[in-house]
Amino acid sequence: MNMFRHELRENRRSMMIWTFSLAAVTVLFFSMYPSIEKDGDQFIKVLQNYPEGVLKALGVQINSITSLLGFYSYFFLYIMLCGAIQAMNLGIGILSKEGSGKTAEFILTKPVTRGGIIISKLFAVLAILVITNLVFLVVSYAMARAVAVNDFDIRAFFLISAANFFVQLMFAALGFFVSVLFLRIRSVLPVSLGVVFAFFIIGMFGSVIGDKASRYFTPFKYFNLPYIMKHSAYEPLYLGIGAAIIAVSVGAGCLLFIKKDFHGA
Amino acid sequence: MNVIELNQLTKRYGQSRGIEDITFSVKEGEIFGFIGPNGAGKSTTLRTLLSIIYPTSGSASIFGKDVVAYGPEIKKQIGYLPSEVFYYDKMKVKDLLHYSASFYKKDCKKRIHELAERMDLDLNKRIDDLSYGNRKKVGIVQGLLHGPKLIILDEPTGGLDPLMQQTFFELLKEENQKGATILFSSHILSEVQKMCDRVAIIKEGKLITVEKISTLKERNHKKIRIETRVPVDAGLFAMDGVTKIESEEGNRISFLYSGDINLIMRRLAEVQLVNLWVDEPDLEEIFLHYYEKEDVQDEHVPARA
Repeated sequence: MNMFRHELRENRRSMMIWTFSLAAVTVLFFSMYPSIEKDGDQFIKVLQNYPEGVLKALGVQINSITSLLGFYSYFFLYIMLCGAIQAMNLGIGILSKEGSGKTAEFILTKPVTRGGIIISKLFAVLAILVITNLVFLVVSYAMARAVAVNDFDIRAFFLISAANFFVQLMFAALGFFVSVLFLRIRSVLPVSLGVVFAFFIIGMFGSVIGDKASRYFTPFKYFNLPYIMKHSAYEPLYLGIGAAIIAVSVGAGCLLFIKKDFHGA
Repeated sequence: MNVIELNQLTKRYGQSRGIEDITFSVKEGEIFGFIGPNGAGKSTTLRTLLSIIYPTSGSASIFGKDVVAYGPEIKKQIGYLPSEVFYYDKMKVKDLLHYSASFYKKDCKKRIHELAERMDLDLNKRIDDLSYGNRKKVGIVQGLLHGPKLIILDEPTGGLDPLMQQTFFELLKEENQKGATILFSSHILSEVQKMCDRVAIIKEGKLITVEKISTLKERNHKKIRIETRVPVDAGLFAMDGVTKIESEEGNRISFLYSGDINLIMRRLAEVQLVNLWVDEPDLEEIFLHYYEKEDVQDEHVPARA
């Protein structure tokens, strides 16, 4: 428990900043919604002048963008992008802080098992992501309610919102695995930005060329927002792949961590 | 009773040298020095004992329990001070120490304040604002706050000023009198000489010898220096029991001698002396002597007993 609390404390600031940013983005986008809804036809006309590739890359679905959920799922791609960066930072940082700050010796010479250390850290990551998403969900929902003209499918709304959480879990797990492999990552941000943008671009590219196979390679596409909107459900296959990625990354990361030699200066 | 036992402990890192076949033990209540030059494998040994790294072969036990299998249990009673102290930078000293204390099921508040006062450490500073020496103090308090039965220190005095070193050694002696066993590594021999009951000497990953400090000193080595009126051939003193002959301009000669003191006196009487000094050699010289002996053996020249 003490390690869990310690991790939360250490990450408190960054959690607040990220939560605030995500909330700010959703507030900003939703506050634009009334004007888009009002001048919907014109907005669609403008969009129709765009090349199809650009629209696909940006994740714009013309026929639904003026509906509340359509608009939400449009800008939610960017929420997921931010969320992924937060999660990856968190996943990498939670261990590499020990490696680069040479605090591994501190924690490893305490009367705790390595398994105990890793579990505390993973639960801290989970807790931070849960808190971030809960705050985001409340803010998002309040904003949606405030700007909605017609009623919208609440279940779909929640499923879309929760997609961020699952994408974050995947990136946090990947980050965790990467950080066990390379313990001394001194600057976490460039690494996580690199990885996240790589996946994001794969996702954009896949949308543009309409390549189905590329969907498997980017967690961003495991949650197909138009699909969720339409069916009020996730796609079981991708949910399964996502769960497998998390399980393998976390499992392998834990095993490596337990077996690893921690070298000094 | 042995608190620490190393049994053919070996750690290899790919190509580079680790430690090879280290066997020795530390008795309860002992202050045990672990000494060797930089890179000899001192830290590797200590880190293996604490299962920060795992042995390649061989084993080690602390309080009679295997260090790998019972690591967490053993560590309840261990205080460790790493050679380089880099703790969570953004924390205050106070918070770090309380965090450290939270791992042990006892109230350490009073002890933290006592130790901080003794070591003259400001508890309210942030760790990244501290100097190297002050970080070291944090490490020391952190290692002692739970009253461990075994204290393991890796190069403990680096960065501490002489006065602080004095205080620190007093602290260690007090802990020792309360029953704590102490194992510490160093490359500074005077430290070891002052503190330890026994030492293990390590070189290039191999254990050279384990000796009582008193035996090391009592080995009846004398350091003899002479000044002569006219230059003499230093070879004159190349007799049984003489090592490390050094000659300066032919008329100032020094060497180590062990053996019948009368024999060397007779030899000395053969030359016209201006001055004569006979000293107990310090550990450093004995130590170098050990190293040289090893080298000599390596070259298959019969070693002198």
